[in-house]
Order: sequence, then C-alpha cells, then structure tokens
Amino acid sequence: MSAQRIMWLYILTGLAILVLMMLLGITMRMEQAGWLSYDATAFYSLLTLHGVGMLTAVALAGLGTLWYLVSRETALDARIAYLAYAFFIAGVLCVIASVLGHFGALWTMLYPLPFVGASWPGWATGTYLIGNLLVMIGFTLWCVQILAALLQRYGIRGMLGVEYIFRGRTFEAAGRRPPPPQMFAALIVSIDGFLASIAGMAIVIALIVRWADASVELDPLWAKNLTYFFGHSFANLTMYMAVAGVYVGLPLCTKREYHTSRPLVIAWWGTLTFVIFAYFHHLYMDFVQPQGVQFVGEIASYLAAIPVVVVTVYGGVLLVHRSGMRWSMGAMFLYAGMIGWVVGGTGAVLDATIPFNFDLHNTLWVPAHFHTYLLEGVVAFTLGWAFVNLEQRSGAVSPSLIRWVTGTCIFGGGALFLLSFYLAGSSGVPRRVAIEPPPGPAIAAVASIGAIVVLIGLLICLAEGVRLARLPRKETA
Amino acid sequence: MNGRAMIAGVIGVLTLLFALAPLYRGEVELPTAEHHLLHAAIVTGAALSGVLAWNPAFARTSRLAPLWLLIAICAPILAMFLMWPSEYAFLDRHPGGHAIEHLGLVGLGFVTGYSGQRYAAGIGWATGAALLIMSLLAPLGYGVSPPPAAIAALPTAAPAAEEPASPSDAGRGAALYKQSCASCHGTSGEGGLGPSLKNERSRKDIEQTARWIRNPAPPMPKLFPATLTEKDVREVSAFVQKL
Repeated sequence: MSAQRIMWLYILTGLAILVLMMLLGITMRMEQAGWLSYDATAFYSLLTLHGVGMLTAVALAGLGTLWYLVSRETALDARIAYLAYAFFIAGVLCVIASVLGHFGALWTMLYPLPFVGASWPGWATGTYLIGNLLVMIGFTLWCVQILAALLQRYGIRGMLGVEYIFRGRTFEAAGRRPPPPQMFAALIVSIDGFLASIAGMAIVIALIVRWADASVELDPLWAKNLTYFFGHSFANLTMYMAVAGVYVGLPLCTKREYHTSRPLVIAWWGTLTFVIFAYFHHLYMDFVQPQGVQFVGEIASYLAAIPVVVVTVYGGVLLVHRSGMRWSMGAMFLYAGMIGWVVGGTGAVLDATIPFNFDLHNTLWVPAHFHTYLLEGVVAFTLGWAFVNLEQRSGAVSPSLIRWVTGTCIFGGGALFLLSFYLAGSSGVPRRVAIEPPPGPAIAAVASIGAIVVLIGLLICLAEGVRLARLPRKETA
Repeated sequence: MNGRAMIAGVIGVLTLLFALAPLYRGEVELPTAEHHLLHAAIVTGAALSGVLAWNPAFARTSRLAPLWLLIAICAPILAMFLMWPSEYAFLDRHPGGHAIEHLGLVGLGFVTGYSGQRYAAGIGWATGAALLIMSLLAPLGYGVSPPPAAIAALPTAAPAAEEPASPSDAGRGAALYKQSCASCHGTSGEGGLGPSLKNERSRKDIEQTARWIRNPAPPMPKLFPATLTEKDVREVSAFVQKL
C-alpha cells in the first residue's frame, strides 16, 4: 500500500502541475495570436516556467509509476522516494519564485542568457539556478536508489540481460528468466539519468558560481554541451519512465503477458548507449563544435530512439491484436500513446537529420515534435496507466460517452494544437519568441483553440478518474 | 587490519600528502585548467580510499540509509563549489588556505565514496565516479575561457568596411547559396517558401542584393554575420545576380 501511495502522490502532483502549466501554455499561444496582450518580459518568464514545470510534471508522474513497478520486483525504501519528492517540490517552488522575479532566460538557462542584458533582479537568477539544482538532486536520489535496488536484485549482468542474450539456451535451460520489460526501462532511466544529472549539476554549479562571482569565466560551448546533455536526456527519459506503464498496463487490459524478448533487450541497449549522445543534434549549427561529433549526434539520435520504439510498439500492437480487449479509458490512452510516441519520435528524427535540422531547428517544428511526444505520448501513457489501475481497483470502466468525449478532446484537440505547431514550423515561424512574424499569429489562434479543447478533455478525464477512485474496491476471491 | 583497509589507508595517506603539497611548494601560479586536474587527482584518491575503507562486514544500518545516500550525492556538489575558479589566484598566493581547501576536497571525496558504499555495496564506485567526472569536466570550461582557436574562428561583430561585390565572386557563391538560401528560394532560384530570385538583377543590382542579405526584412532570416561573413555575402550576391 505504501508503494501505491507513493505512486499516486507522484502521479497526482505531476498531473496537477501539468494542468497549471497547460493554462500558462494556452495564455502564451493566445498572446502570440494577439488575443491577449502582455509584455514580452512576462511572456519569457512564463515560457521559462512552462518549460521547467512541464518537464518536472511529466517526470514526476513517470518516476512515480516506475518506482512502484520496481518496488513490485525488489524492496525499495519509501523514505528515499519521499526525500526525492521533497527536493522536486522545493525545486519547483524556487523556480516559481524566480518567475515572480521575472526571470526569463528560458528553461534551458543557456549561458550567458541568465546574466547578459538581464531585465530581472539578481536574486531571481540565483533562485532559479538553485531550484534547478534541487530538482537535479531529487532526480539523482531517485536514480541511485533504483540503480542500487536493481544491482542487488539482478547483479550487473543480470539486469542488462547479458546472459539471456549471449547464453540463451543455457540460461533458459536452467529455468531462469530475464528481468521483465519494465525493469529495462527502469535501468535505462536510472543509469542515463544519473549520467545526465552529473552533467547537469556540473553546469548548474558553474552557473551558480558565475552568478555569485561575475569574474568567473565559462566557456559558452562547454556550457551549452552540458546544458543540453542534461536537458535533452532528461526530457527524452520521461518517455522511458512512462513506457514502463505500457509493459504492465497493456497486459492487464489484454490479459496477455508482455514478454522480455531478445530484440527488446537489444533495443534497450541501444537506448542505454545512445541517449547520452543524442543531444548533439541541438548543436548542429554551432560551427565551433567538432564536425565528427555532429555525425555522432545524428547516428545516436536514430539508434537511441528507433529500435526501442519499433520493438515496443510492435509488441504492443501484437498484444492487442485479436485479444478481445475492452477499450476502456486505460486501454485507449495506452494504445493512443504509442501512436503519439511514433509521431513525435518521427518529428524528432527529422529534426535530428542534419539537412532538415538546418531548416527546422529554430522554428516551431521543434516544439511541435516534443509537444507530440510529451502530450500524446508521455501524458497519454501516464493517464493510461492511472486509469488501468483505477479500473483494476474498482472493477468498473468509464461510460463510453465519457471515453468518446475525452478521447475526441485530447486527441482531436491535440491534433489541432499540434498540427498548428508543425505547420508553423514548416513555414519557418521561429520558436521562443513573444511576437511571431506571419503566418505565426493566425496559426497560434488555431493552436489556442486546440489547446483549450485538450484542457477541457483533460479536466473531464481527471473528474472521471476521481469518480472511479471513489468507487468501492473490487472484491477479490 | 585486512588488506582492503590497508590499501584504503595507504591511498588516503598519499592523497593527504598530495593535498598538502601547497604548504611545501609555497606560492605558485597554476593555470585554472591544470588546477582543476590537480583537484580531480585529489578527489579521486580520496573517493577511492573512502570506497575501500568500507568493509562488507560492517553492520548495515538501514535506518540511516536515506541519510547515507543524501550525503553521497551532496558531497560531490559541495566539492565542486569548493573548486571556485576565481579563488585560485588568491589561493595560489596563500599556501595555508590552499592546503585547507585541498583538505576539504579530501574530506568530501572520502565521504562521497564511503557513504555511497554505506548506502549499498557498489554505489560508492558510482558516486566516486560522478565526482571524478565532474572534476574532469571542469577544466574544459569552468573558470576557463574558450580556447584561442575557437575565438579566432568567431565572426567579427562589427563587419569590416563594405567592399563592392564583383561578379567574379559567383563561383563559391553557388555553394553558399545551396547551403543557406536554396531551402527557401529553390535550388535554382525558382522560389519556394521564399520568393523567386530569377532575374533578380532586374530588381536589385549587386550592391543592393548584398545590402538586402545583410539586413533582410522578416520573414527572411538574417544570416549575416552569424552564418555568412562579409565575403560570403558578396559571393552569394554575385551568384544571385546570375540567376
């Protein structure tokens, strides 16, 4: 029960932050559409909060899910989960405080933006940086706890599935089984998350020192590499946190088992190895970055994402095929999330391809792909996992009208919202700007409507979740 | 005393002596990058000593597990703060203070390795490696400005006096056009997202074209001087005149 409580604490906090950040996002799109008017300083502050808040929200939900799933396989100390949670919340509060001080160097805090030409007070910069450091400490606590637990449960070779791959027959003849798929997701998140946090903490500490002592020099290229090593990896890992819910949730819906297969293990190895190099695609246009690294970035971007998406989605589709699965809210979100993952991932792969990147990277194409990835992928998986749990607990499913309404709002409104981003991106509308050149404002108006519809769907969905949660627990034989 | 503890002790003592070196060497001027590397060596020795000092036979106190983990994660952070680059010049001239700073690094390095192991066997290696990686990342840019070669490669903020473009620049201009302009204006200037540049010479002469590329009106992106240099602009202008 304690583990479930922790999972719900993380998920519900994540969803609450998500709704607040969606509201901010809608006001920003409305401002770009010319429907609202506030000054550019406020826009960049809100954009900063929206970025950090959204990533923290989806990460919290994913970490809660994964923590619970790992706790079913091996003992975990609940106090560390609460400690990590406290760091996350303290970090978010610091970031909110910094935005009240009009900090607006965006969530990437790319050096020297937090310091050069800043229109906000110095304390806001410091509070923002400290907030980020607290979030990173929380994330590191989580990663190390999971890593230690997996090491104790399986050992290094066992948790990587080495013997299962290279000595398959002996391994299986001995009656042994590889770790379940969700443990590979946990492993990748904990190892790569730990590595990303090291880079993140190194740059945030340097920025805090630079904030306190203006005479400290930082190499901007070094700072950008570390910033994106952390930022891109963290954002990318939120998907691998949430996908664990698919490995466990879909089998509950289809009453079939999601086996660990050799292609799945090898695909996860690809992600484990290449996620940390994929961020190079954010630096294609930095001409001082060594050229060889740029090519590594392109290949790593493909190898980190494509194999695991293909294997997981293929396995998921086969699981559902002719299973007679009832299309409950949980099943719908888990299945649709796989589509969102594929679409968002395709947009990401295009952006990671050097010739496309030169045209697309500074445009709204980039928010298009990561909003698809996060909203229709990670958030859908989170909602799916949450509903599967509620449905299992109560033995009830939502009325089909509710399912149709929420599905239409979240995926229909989402399509409107996301296609607007893609269209604007392919038209060359720049990203991260308060005032967009044409055709940006007209497209932002359509996007605003789409986003409002998504928010309505999400609120109905949350209300339905509360209704299911209040139903009496299903009696088990 | 077992062999493991003895090795931990020897490494610990050697690290301590190494950390106290400023007291013996007196005032020195060490470049920041080398200074970071020196610190990396100190924390590595200390963390290794901490990892080996932990004995699997020690009673495991699960009550304090979260505390050990928190210490193992926060100690590297504190160590990085202790490596405050602008203080190096001061410390180089104050050997006593410098030695104290190094002792602080020894302590934090030891705690990183030891408390990681106290939390779970094997984790001390991971937290020690994290501290080492952070220390090794530092010389690449923490308190260190970009290398001269990178600065030399930067485009100048203020362009040199404009030189008139000449049609002879068109050769290289074709390649630059393909790289920077063709995605919007088409591979042979037939237009696309941007307007057609066919027969542009009837609308703008070569100087006007160059001026437009330097200061375009939205939505055309301004590529000068970040992407295109003054010479590039002249060459692209010459090429556009031939379309």
